[in-house]
Amino acid sequence: MTVLTLEALSKFFQRAGLVVDAVNLRIEDGEFFTLLGPSGCGKSTILRMIAGLEEPTSGRILFGDRDVTFAPPNQRGIGLVFQNYALFPHLTVARNVAFGLEVRKLSSDEITKRVTAALAQVQLEKLGQARVDQLSGGQQQRVALARALVIRPQFLLLDEPLSNLDAMLRGETRTMLRAVHNESEVTTIYVTHDQEEALGMSDRIAVLSGGRIHQVADPKDIYERPATRFVASFIGRNNAIEATVIRLQNDMVTIQFANRSELTVNTKQRAPGVELAAGAKVVACIRAESLCLSANGQIDGTLSDIEYSGSGFACIVKSNLGNLKIEVPMSVQLPSRGETVHLSMSAAAVHLVQP
Amino acid sequence: MSARKLSTAEIMVALSLVLWGYVVQPLVATFQRSLEGKGLLAEYAPFFDFHSVQNEAMRGSLWISFLSVICAGVVGTLLAVLLNRWDFRFRRIYQALVLLPIALPPLMGVKAFYLLYGKAGTFPQLLGGIFHGNPSDFAITGIAGVLLVHTLTMYPYFYLSVAASLAQSDDSLEEAAYSLGASRIQTWIRVLLPMLTPPIVAGALLTFMSSMASYTAPLLFEVNNVMTVQIANNAATQASLASAVAVVLAIISVIFLIVIRGYEARRVYRTQSKGGARRRQRVSGAWANVMLFISALLSTLVLILPIAMIFLLAFSKNYSWRTAPLPSEYTMENWIRLFSLSDAWAPIRNSVEMSAIAVAGAVLLGVTCAYVIARTKSRGNAVIDIAMMLPWALPGTVVAFNLIVAFARPSVFSFGQVLIGTYWIVPLAYFIRFSPLIFRSTSSSLAQLDPALEEAARSLGASWWTSFWRVVLPLVRGGIAGGVLLAFVAGVGEFVATIMLFPKLKYRPLSIAINDELNVGRWGTAACLGAIQVLLVLAVVILMRRVEDRSTIAHNT
Repeated sequence: MTVLTLEALSKFFQRAGLVVDAVNLRIEDGEFFTLLGPSGCGKSTILRMIAGLEEPTSGRILFGDRDVTFAPPNQRGIGLVFQNYALFPHLTVARNVAFGLEVRKLSSDEITKRVTAALAQVQLEKLGQARVDQLSGGQQQRVALARALVIRPQFLLLDEPLSNLDAMLRGETRTMLRAVHNESEVTTIYVTHDQEEALGMSDRIAVLSGGRIHQVADPKDIYERPATRFVASFIGRNNAIEATVIRLQNDMVTIQFANRSELTVNTKQRAPGVELAAGAKVVACIRAESLCLSANGQIDGTLSDIEYSGSGFACIVKSNLGNLKIEVPMSVQLPSRGETVHLSMSAAAVHLVQP
Repeated sequence: MSARKLSTAEIMVALSLVLWGYVVQPLVATFQRSLEGKGLLAEYAPFFDFHSVQNEAMRGSLWISFLSVICAGVVGTLLAVLLNRWDFRFRRIYQALVLLPIALPPLMGVKAFYLLYGKAGTFPQLLGGIFHGNPSDFAITGIAGVLLVHTLTMYPYFYLSVAASLAQSDDSLEEAAYSLGASRIQTWIRVLLPMLTPPIVAGALLTFMSSMASYTAPLLFEVNNVMTVQIANNAATQASLASAVAVVLAIISVIFLIVIRGYEARRVYRTQSKGGARRRQRVSGAWANVMLFISALLSTLVLILPIAMIFLLAFSKNYSWRTAPLPSEYTMENWIRLFSLSDAWAPIRNSVEMSAIAVAGAVLLGVTCAYVIARTKSRGNAVIDIAMMLPWALPGTVVAFNLIVAFARPSVFSFGQVLIGTYWIVPLAYFIRFSPLIFRSTSSSLAQLDPALEEAARSLGASWWTSFWRVVLPLVRGGIAGGVLLAFVAGVGEFVATIMLFPKLKYRPLSIAINDELNVGRWGTAACLGAIQVLLVLAVVILMRRVEDRSTIAHNT
């Protein structure tokens, strides 16, 4: 089976500049791998280079041992699902799905068999003769998926496939994509800007910004142990508070915030490369849900904004450490807007990154 | 780097060679020819001398074009507003009839105008009879005649663009203006008219360019001091003068081409909201209804008359029309002759054949060019685009004259042959003139085609060629077919360039046969051929509708 390797892959565009900057990646066989990042971070360009729709400026792409860097897209054996589905409007649903098999010159019996199976897999067996423009967005999405899977690709590439669907369909389609992946065991590379999708579906995630990879890890590590300040701020509701190291003893480090309050955390609670010598600058990351209202908390502030979120309240506190995001569960009595509050943070929830 | 990039470069070189050989180089040859007489200064200075014939012709062309824009603009815009914002009896029928002038064949159409309104025409004779005056006092002659023809054949430029803009325009804009306290008149002046400015300007540019290129109308109404007539009249006797006039006319046309391109790129007013079709105001009140009805009836009558005249004449006996408002004797003879004598049928066969050859070449060039420009981001694209559209902007007279100069001696592009005087010069001229039509319609189809469709086909294993053949071509088929039919219509009617180029009697196409018959007074025979042109055009239009219907299944991504 096949491993996908990107070696120092770069792409330079005349207008946009260096969109992909020396990216190295190794995607294992059968993985559900996600490229996550804000728009313009280069994730789609990486996907298009893997598909052969863009030529890299430098670097190599390997499918197993085979160098496909400059191979045309039709000789790569990939299945690609586009953001807008790109179904052929002049062909029926079944002919769309059959397209890849027809150009491979399979026998018509074999084509019929595989198209029927593929449509059944995405629960569209009754719509084979329908015209593409008669389908809903969700159905078009499933046709696109069936069309990509029916050719039994080495890699299934999905480019923001859920971004044109409404919230409910998005949930259903996510479940279906996972199911399809589990069943077919095809190595899947998924591009999205939605952290919730990425965390929920992936085996591993690469977080990108400005054409560089900030972190490659499983969803739990990405969420709990962000490697950089960018990853910390991009994933979840996060607070980044600047601090200075004042003491390092054994495996415990004490940091001091701008309001003179101190906190001692384990040295393991830091991203690689964070320096812990006395006087070093660090950034303490703490999730909104890990900051608690508490009468004897060391952070003082006023409650400035309250948003009801169903399971609780998402609030902003104007504090002597800047504006902090907090989450207050329903069970806690919420002060009203403008009142003075005190916050405490549990040392175990803090994660240190480089400033 | 890859094989595909190399072949793109090769295609670019091939396209540049074709465009250079058949479009740009003949123009350059004309410029060189203009210098072979008295030299640069002596040949071009007279254009700035108020008393010279060159200056007079240039002023004549500009003045007629200016007046044509005004007349066609008023008629076309009013008709568009009338038929698209108000609803009244038989509106849909008028909407179809209003586009009739498009089906009018160039030469026979103008002749029909002349026979209706010109010296000794139907209307002057009728009016002369009623008021007991001299018919020629009621005739429309000279510049007025040219203007009449221009107005009634060119107002569709305004009508189509204004009507399209009205159809797209958003009811909510008008409602917003009313809700903000604007009166009906204020809404028109401050909201609706500014929105109509882009289509009106677009129509004006096209009308001006077409008027500058107009040859048949000034020829028949004997207006000799315009540039096109000056080129044609001097082509054989004073070649360097004709060349200089052709160069100046070409420069004016190119300026207009560049202005039109710039303007199209800048047109911004688009509808923001979706929603159903526009509501039309149903006219209420008996008076308003009657007025609208009468004005619509009158204007459409005027439009139908020329075509009616062609068909009436086609059934009239040759030489039977002397001093009555209409021909006096009718017969089937013209039609029987046409279908029984192979000589009589030859012009039709020639026209269809020459147009078909030209269209085949134009499809190859136009579609390749459109695809290359749509799919590559090369810097040469703008140059190829302009060179491709150049023959569309150049008057037929200039295109023909350029060919005469360029291919009067053997050239690489004519495979070492002298093309003038051979059969091939006419299809070549058609090919050059009609490639832009196919290029444009294919380009606009391609612009609507999502590039992801091709990428999808490629990722599914299709080679470039398979994806082009099985995905791109089926989806732009409508656009290509539209261009092909337009080109075919233009080819069957072509007169302006043909009259300067056609080699010998045996190879004369329809328009030339009509011209010859008119010259010897056999109006019935001429009109019969003209009627065939109208029928060919109608057949093609119906065919076009069907193709368009079938290809609209496509785009809704």
